[in-house]
Amino acid sequence: MAKPILRVENVYKKFKDTEVLKGLSLTVYEGEVVVIIGPSGTGKSTLLRCINRLTEPDSGDIYLEEQKIEPGKSNLSYIRQQIGMVFQDFNLFNHLTALQNVAVGPIKVKKMEKNKAMELAMKELERVGMAEKAGNYPAELSGGQKQRVAIARALAMDPKIMLFDEPTSALDPELIGEVLEVMKDLANAGMTMMVVSHEMGFAREAADRIVFLEDGVVAEMGSPEKIFNNPEKERTREFISKIARLNNGCKDQEVL
Amino acid sequence: MVEHIEYFISIWPELFKGLVVSLQLSAGALLLGLVIGLPMALMRTYGKGIVKALAVAYIELIRGTPMIVQLFLIYYGLPDLGILLDRIPAAIVALGINSSAYQAEYFRGAILSIDEGQGMAAQALGMTKQQAILYIILPQALRLVIPPWSNEVIYMVKYTSVAFLIAVPELMARGKMIISETFKPLETLFWVGVIYIVVLSIIAKIVDLIERKLAIPGFQMIRED
Repeated sequence: MAKPILRVENVYKKFKDTEVLKGLSLTVYEGEVVVIIGPSGTGKSTLLRCINRLTEPDSGDIYLEEQKIEPGKSNLSYIRQQIGMVFQDFNLFNHLTALQNVAVGPIKVKKMEKNKAMELAMKELERVGMAEKAGNYPAELSGGQKQRVAIARALAMDPKIMLFDEPTSALDPELIGEVLEVMKDLANAGMTMMVVSHEMGFAREAADRIVFLEDGVVAEMGSPEKIFNNPEKERTREFISKIARLNNGCKDQEVL
Repeated sequence: MVEHIEYFISIWPELFKGLVVSLQLSAGALLLGLVIGLPMALMRTYGKGIVKALAVAYIELIRGTPMIVQLFLIYYGLPDLGILLDRIPAAIVALGINSSAYQAEYFRGAILSIDEGQGMAAQALGMTKQQAILYIILPQALRLVIPPWSNEVIYMVKYTSVAFLIAVPELMARGKMIISETFKPLETLFWVGVIYIVVLSIIAKIVDLIERKLAIPGFQMIRED
């Protein structure tokens, strides 16, 4: 068995009166690509945010390898450095060029020498096919380009795991492909990834495991074949077919 | 016409001295306002409990009282507490404190207008909250604050005229002095007004240039002209 990179144990999170996560547990192993699917409001994004403590869980434990991720400890910054995060709406730093966006983490957080950080940033931009736009500001990039820069920014910190929070949901359909390509390359290169996404094509091709989240807990999980073709639960089957119809619907529209 | 020009030439040296004092007051007060205002904005935006309450109280107190009251308190009131300020320092302190409350609110507005995803992304990279504010949020907020802040510059240059009430020899006070010697209020005040307009136009232009210089694609509020 590969070694666990991330362990989420019995995590609860409540917003006001709405309980979003209800004792969720999940382990992600080294090199594994886990795609998380589930109806909206089941806590997919909340789960990702609880992992690096952008949202504080009410209870439960989360471990990155052997380090417990805890709030208020001086090690939180250190742990966040090891967890790359990609947001739905990119959140590139608007006042920095693509290159500076990628370099700022190594420079300010890792105290890397500026020249070395710029070199590293350039390499990461090349990796996502964005080297030509290194000098451009976020406002001068398309959504897909922004998201690729955001991925490079996370990679520059040399994370142990990458979290993707619906990375293509804010993109125009024709821009989704370039981002998914980059993510597939990453997966092939052995990066451990946790991806919240309803891109079924990506899930089928790149995922090692699909986790169906419902009502704040893991309802079902398994290989893409199992979840897509032979789900145990009726609810999973319903959800998958609904998403599939939607995906196909989109494609039909494009053809028309 | 010629005699008007001649009159202007005759009073210009006096008015120029006043203008220099006005600009000194403005620069000093704006700087003091910035040095107090920016921390107040940060305390009010990010502070909790007593820190935030102090900033709110300070800002509302200053904004809620007339500047002349503040000026008189500092010049005539503080000596009772053993703090004696000369006219010009007293004027700079009064104008600066007054300005700091308004500047704090400009800064706060700009900080709040930055998308919260910016700070979140910075923290996700491992930046502390302080680093996120310093390296990500403030550089953006300070650019956004330039247009309202340039208003403050223009107000300030005009507001320095209240300093004549404590006999600071600024532009307005010089004008008054000239009037008492020449008995020509209309012409004197006309030229004082002209000087204000010319100087403020130049300042507005300079601020505009700074704004353009610092502008970032897709991130500026200046019109495309």
